[in-house]
Amino acid sequence: MIDRLKSMISGVEADFIDIRYEIKTETKIGFAGREIRSAGSNRTDGYVIRVGKNGGFSSATVTREEDVPRALELAVEGAETIIATGGKKSVLASVPVVVENIKLVLDGDPREISIDDKIELLRKYNDLMLEQPMIETTNLYYIEIGREKHYVNSEGTAVSEEIMTTNIAGEVIAKHGSLVQNIRVAIGGADGYNRLLSREDVFVKKAEIAARLLDAEPVKGGTYNVILSPMLAGVFTHEAFGHFSEADLIEDNPSLREKMLLGEQLGSDVITIIADSTLPDQIGYYVYDDEGVAVKPVTLMDRGVLTGRLHSRRTASAFGEPVSGHTVAEDMRFEPIIRMGTIYIKPGSLTLDNLLAELGDGLYLIDGKGGQTSGENFTFGAQYGFKVEGSRIGPMIRDINIMGNLFTTLQNIEAIGNDMELSERGGCGKGQLNIKSALGSPHILIRNMVVGGV
Amino acid sequence: MKKLLDIAARVSDQAEVFSIRKDSSSLDMRNGKPCDMSASIQSGYALRILKDGRIGTAYTKNLLSRDELVKNALDSLKGRVEASFSFPGPSEIPESWLPDESISRMGFHDLHSRSGKVLDYLNRKVEGQINVNSARGIQDMAIMNTNGLNFSRKSAFMYIFASLLFPNTETAVRKFYQSRQAGDFPEKELDVLMDLYASGLPEASIPTGSMKVVFTPDTMFTLLWRLSAAASGKSFYDRVSPLQNRREEKVFSDKFTLYGDPADPLEVDQHFFDDEGILAKKHTIFEKGVFKNLVLNLDYAAKLKEEPTGTGYRGGMWGGETVSLPPMPQLSCSRIAPGNVSFEDMIKGIDRGVIVFGVLGAHSGNILNGDFSVGLNPGFYVENGEIKGRVRDGMVSGNVYDVLNNIESVENRLHDSTTGGMYPSILLDDVSVAAK
Repeated sequence: MIDRLKSMISGVEADFIDIRYEIKTETKIGFAGREIRSAGSNRTDGYVIRVGKNGGFSSATVTREEDVPRALELAVEGAETIIATGGKKSVLASVPVVVENIKLVLDGDPREISIDDKIELLRKYNDLMLEQPMIETTNLYYIEIGREKHYVNSEGTAVSEEIMTTNIAGEVIAKHGSLVQNIRVAIGGADGYNRLLSREDVFVKKAEIAARLLDAEPVKGGTYNVILSPMLAGVFTHEAFGHFSEADLIEDNPSLREKMLLGEQLGSDVITIIADSTLPDQIGYYVYDDEGVAVKPVTLMDRGVLTGRLHSRRTASAFGEPVSGHTVAEDMRFEPIIRMGTIYIKPGSLTLDNLLAELGDGLYLIDGKGGQTSGENFTFGAQYGFKVEGSRIGPMIRDINIMGNLFTTLQNIEAIGNDMELSERGGCGKGQLNIKSALGSPHILIRNMVVGGV
Repeated sequence: MKKLLDIAARVSDQAEVFSIRKDSSSLDMRNGKPCDMSASIQSGYALRILKDGRIGTAYTKNLLSRDELVKNALDSLKGRVEASFSFPGPSEIPESWLPDESISRMGFHDLHSRSGKVLDYLNRKVEGQINVNSARGIQDMAIMNTNGLNFSRKSAFMYIFASLLFPNTETAVRKFYQSRQAGDFPEKELDVLMDLYASGLPEASIPTGSMKVVFTPDTMFTLLWRLSAAASGKSFYDRVSPLQNRREEKVFSDKFTLYGDPADPLEVDQHFFDDEGILAKKHTIFEKGVFKNLVLNLDYAAKLKEEPTGTGYRGGMWGGETVSLPPMPQLSCSRIAPGNVSFEDMIKGIDRGVIVFGVLGAHSGNILNGDFSVGLNPGFYVENGEIKGRVRDGMVSGNVYDVLNNIESVENRLHDSTTGGMYPSILLDDVSVAAK
């Protein structure tokens, strides 16, 4: 395949060309309640082309091989038009030329498991949740996505890499009268099928929480001191800080670039944040990004000081900072953009009891329910939580969403726990879906968070 | 398509092939400069087969082997997914509007020229950062099945999206223009955008408590996602809809009417059949607050022993690859019926409240239960009928089954929404607002 890609881009008049060909395989099985509603495996492919010419940079994606010449024409035309219209000039940071073929190493290859066995595993977990009291229904899916990627550029880099993610994920829904409450559940990773086995306890626990939520009080809106659970603190890290560390999100906003200067003390001195997709056995693990650059660990914030940023080759050059190998596409339909892989807060020294003692009165909020960011503003939802009075965990609360300003919130982080958890499923949407966005943290304590409620 | 259908027909009781091809390009101008130009030519095929009361599905974007696609659909039958519906036969549909060639002919230079006009107009009067995104595209879609249905349609679109960013933030006020012919952003809409920007420049602090809240057209999806989930045939079949057993019951204020109207001549995405080949016509969900109809595809219509409603579409809340997603119940080209108050008069009537121009986190929370809790991004604070400025760190929360019973007024005009559909602004009373 590599030779075919090389021949496709040879002879094109441009300063830089790269082409990525991908074969994507997907197996999905879905249950709603006790009924199986979908099952199947599919395979598809496509091409992504990027061209740099006279400082202009443009891309084109096509499904069919016969459209590749047209895609090359369009990408060249786009690059030329950017420069002709006074647009942004782009220079790519220099990176080593690499020729490598990365093979999958899995603890249990899901492609060798029959669809009947996958259905039975999914059915077992689904039935377990349905058997719990007050559970009305479920939506539970087995999702297996494989990407076989082949990348070639005009500088001589030629990289092939296979990645595979397997997840069982969905929601469990409890109902009492007209009140409906749901809790999300997800297990899985990028290290093989065996991670999905013997996980009954996860599903039972989630069903129990969904049932308990039927008796929980809606949280009252206001400003609170809060402890975030590891998964929720991970969502905060990803949504509030992580996206802001992606250079493309601040590149064309001069006032935000001024705020996000390396060396600035942006957070309290207890917080250190690291992006590290080289951590093995995590869903965020990969070796090369979709520019053929090896991913490296980056300490983004060290004791509150901004120390690093996530880059593409183009933004690394524009910022004069090191490339980090974080330019990743959802699949063959998209040009790569800057994405976090695995991001987490470094653990501190306090136990949860220590944090509760420090909190006094406030809220203990647990597990994420989606989030969103826009510049320095962010929101994220908690699946459930508890009131805390006099450092004691009290009644369960629900309907919790938090909003904040990144800079204010980073300063308001007061303490970091000594535990650590990383998510088993990605799913960040930044124009494209990133199924390899792992996140995590210890418990953390933050002062003065705005919590929306009834 | 016909060859694929013939192969599938030989191994099944019924078969359906769906195909799509899109050719699009886009331009992003950030901080006044062209930054990204990209193009995309994407195709795809989806196959559904019915055999012995079960369904098998398969898709590919690149039809390299018809036999492999049919084999994947046959393998999918092993999942024993039950299906009690039949694919529809042919029916009379109105002659589709054929797009003119103006969008097919649009290149990068044309996108730049039309975006540049927006930029120049705004630059004359605004000092802040201006971003302009534009795109154009043409699409061919077809459905064919073994019951004789053979529908196709060609569509075209272009849009320009103008954003004015408040100083030192990514928070912006935005306006959206779309058309199915090559066109320019109306200047009077840009004037409205600049007035909004000027109103939002000062920062205003607001108290925490209940107050009046205006949801503008671009934020209406916050409420409508909750209603779509509840009115979906899937939620009824799964017995988790808050609207269960409430048909013909008054659920909301009589000022609230929600319907889908794919055949509306004003609709850029005007169409006459859904993604399963069922006639798509005006379909009312709530009429003057009364819950009238479910939203169904073929599958859930059969499961619930109802008639299909022409609302089976491939695609989800976050888009997704069209051919990889099965048709699900979804309201297309949705509308909220206009009321009788101008936007200006609506604002004048607010003693204390918030106008929501953008939200963060609409997808969080218990959507099925109707709960929402969204960050203002931005929201403007209003006191005694005057906008006082933009709110920093504020949230609006509630439950659609409460707040839509407290509608004070509905704007007398519909606007295109960036998330699809056309809506007026709606003024709600007694909504919870949290702020620092």
